[in-house]
Amino acid sequence: MIIQVLNGLVYGGMLYILSVGLVLLFGLRRVVNFAHGGLFMLGAYAGYAASMQFGFWGGVVFSVVALAVLGALLDRLVFRPLQNVDHMITVLVTYGLLLVFEDFVHTVWGADLISVRVPALLAGTIGIGDTQFPVYRLVVIAVAIAVALGLSAWLHFSRAGLYVRASSVDSLTTAMQGVDTERLSIGVVALGTALAGLSGVVAAPLIALSPSMGSSILIESFIVVVTGGLGSFVGAFIAAIVIGQVHNFGVVYLPNVSSMLPLLLMVGVLIWRPTGLARTQS
Amino acid sequence: MIISKRQLLSLACSVAIVAAWSVPAFSQNKDAIKVGVPTALTGPYGDLGNQVRRAVEFAVEEANTKGGVDGRKVEVQFQDTQAKADSARQQGEKLALSGYKLLVGTIASGEGLALNPMLERWDALYISTINKADALTGESCSPRSFRVNHPDYSDASAVGTWLKTQQQGKWAVMGSDTAWGRNSGASFKTTAEGMGKSVVTEGYAALGANDFAPYIQQFVSSGAEGIWVALAGRDAINFAQQAAQFGLLKKVNVAGVSFVTDNTVATLGDVSKGIWGIINYSSTLDTPENKAFVAAWGKKYPGTQPSNFEGETYVGMQVLFQAVTKAKSVKPADVAKAMSGGSFDTVFGKSELRAKDNQLVVPNYFGRVDTHEGGLRPVISLTVPKDVATPGPDAKCKM
Repeated sequence: MIIQVLNGLVYGGMLYILSVGLVLLFGLRRVVNFAHGGLFMLGAYAGYAASMQFGFWGGVVFSVVALAVLGALLDRLVFRPLQNVDHMITVLVTYGLLLVFEDFVHTVWGADLISVRVPALLAGTIGIGDTQFPVYRLVVIAVAIAVALGLSAWLHFSRAGLYVRASSVDSLTTAMQGVDTERLSIGVVALGTALAGLSGVVAAPLIALSPSMGSSILIESFIVVVTGGLGSFVGAFIAAIVIGQVHNFGVVYLPNVSSMLPLLLMVGVLIWRPTGLARTQS
Repeated sequence: MIISKRQLLSLACSVAIVAAWSVPAFSQNKDAIKVGVPTALTGPYGDLGNQVRRAVEFAVEEANTKGGVDGRKVEVQFQDTQAKADSARQQGEKLALSGYKLLVGTIASGEGLALNPMLERWDALYISTINKADALTGESCSPRSFRVNHPDYSDASAVGTWLKTQQQGKWAVMGSDTAWGRNSGASFKTTAEGMGKSVVTEGYAALGANDFAPYIQQFVSSGAEGIWVALAGRDAINFAQQAAQFGLLKKVNVAGVSFVTDNTVATLGDVSKGIWGIINYSSTLDTPENKAFVAAWGKKYPGTQPSNFEGETYVGMQVLFQAVTKAKSVKPADVAKAMSGGSFDTVFGKSELRAKDNQLVVPNYFGRVDTHEGGLRPVISLTVPKDVATPGPDAKCKM
C-alpha cells in the first residue's frame, strides 16, 4: 500500500511540475498553451544532449536555462500577441508550435527511441517495508515538493509574487497601480517554460524519449489544470496529487477502466464545482 | 577553345546516351506499381512506423535500381495513422482512392482489422507485415488481405516449445491494452496453463502509457517468477526501464513478443541483457537470401542491421513484387490471385502463402539478448519448424 501511494506521488509530482507551468502561463497571459507538451519534450531532449557533455545534473541545469530563454522568446513573439485574440486562434497557434517542436526533434535526433540512465548516485533502491523502492523515484517526489514550496514562498512572500497573484486576477488594474505587467509576464512565462523543461529532464530516466512524448502527457496535464481550477496554483497541486493516486489505485483495483478514471474525476469535479477544486475567479 | 556545332551536337548525344544508360529503363507501356503505406509515423508506435518506412524505401530503391519489377517503376506514398484504427481506415481509403491500392505496413492489429472489410469496396489489397491478431487471417479474413508476418498463434507455438524448458511455475502477463496485447496474453495463459503453470496476475496498459510502476508493484506482490511481456515500441522501453529501476528484471525471468528486437536492445543497452523473446526475424538468419539482404541493407544504412520489423516488412515487399511479376498486372484483384497459394522467395527461404487463410507459412524463432559479434543482439537459440510454427489454417476463416 505504501509503495503504491509513493508511486502515485511520483506520477502526481511529475504532472504537477509540468502543469504548474501551464497555470503560470494561463494566469498571466490567458493563453491555453498546447505547445506545453512540446516544451516538456524539448526539455527532455535538451537535458539528454547536454548530459552527454556535462553529466546528468549539467543536463538538468542546461535544460532549465534553455527552456527559460525559449519561454522569454515565445512570450515576446507568440503569447503576448495572442493574449487578447480568440481562444480558438490561440489553440491553433500553440498546437502548431507543438508540431513544429516535434518535427524539430525528429530532424535533429530522429524517430528512434532514446533511453536515459538514472545518474549513478541515485541508481539504487531503498528498502521500504519488505519492498525495494528506487531512490530516483523518491528524488522526483522531493523535486515536486521543492517546486511547490519554492513557488508558494515566492508567490506569497515576495513582491514579484504579489504582482503575479494580482496580475493573474486582474491584469489591467494591476498595471494601473504602476506594475510593469509586460515585464512581469516575460519572467513568469520563462519560469513556466523552465518548469516544463525541468519536468521533461526529471521524467527522462523514467520514460523513453521520443518526439511524441509531449503529446502523450499533455492531455493529463490539462486534466490536472482543469480539475484544479484554471489559474490556481494550489488547485494544480491538489489535482496532480489526486490524479496520481487515482491513476495508481485505478490500475490496481479497477484495471479495466483505469485509463478513464482521471477523465471521470475531471467531469465529476466540474459538475460539482465548475471552477475546479480550488475556487478561482477564472 | 572553340567548339563547333557538330562537336557540340555529338557531345550532347554522348551525354544523353550515358544518361540513358545509367538511368533504369522502365517500360512506358506498363503501369507503375503504386504502394500505399498507412503506418504510424508519429505516436507511441512512431519508431515502429519509421522502421516500416525504412524497409519499404529500401525495397523500392532496390527494385527501381534494378530496372523496376517486371519493367514497372515502383512508386510509394506514406500516410501517418498514429497506430489508430479509425485513422488507418481513413488513410487507407485516401491512398486507395488516389491510386495507391497495394497497401502495406500498418502497425497495430486494430488497424489491419479496420482495413480488411473495406478492401473490396476500395478495389485494394493489403499485406500485413506487423499485425499479429489471429482474427486477421481468422474470422476477419478477406480474399484481398494477406499476412506475411507471424500471427499470435504462431508465437504461442514458439512459446510452448520454449516454456517447456523453463522451471518457473508462476507467471505474470504485462500486455498492451490492444487487440494484439490481449490476444498474446490470452495465448500465453492458455499455453502456460496447459503445462501445469499458472498466470497469477495480468496487467494491460493503455497504448502510450507513461507510468508502469503500479503494474510492476503488482507483479512484485504477486510472487510471479516470470513475466510475459506483450508490449512494443515506446511502451516496451518504458516498462523495461522502470522494471529495471525496481530491480525486477534481475529477480524474475522476463520474456516477450515484439520485446526483444534490435531497436529495443539498442535503446535499452545492458538493461536488456538476458531478456528472452520471440524473434520473428533476425538479421543473423542463416539463409543466402537473408545474407544478401543484410549486406545490401548495410550499404544503404551503414552501420546498421535490419531489425525485426524491418525484416518482416521487407518480406512483404518481396512477396508483393514477385506476385506482380507473376500476375503481369498491378490490378489488386490480379495480384491477389497470384499471391493466394503462391510460393515465394523470401529471406526465410522458399515460402508458401497458404490459400485457405492467406497466411505465409514460415518458421519461428526464440532467443535472448546476448553478446554477439561484440555487441548486444537478440540471438536465436531455438528454431520452431514451419509446420509447427504455422499450424493449419483457422477454421473461422471463410473467404
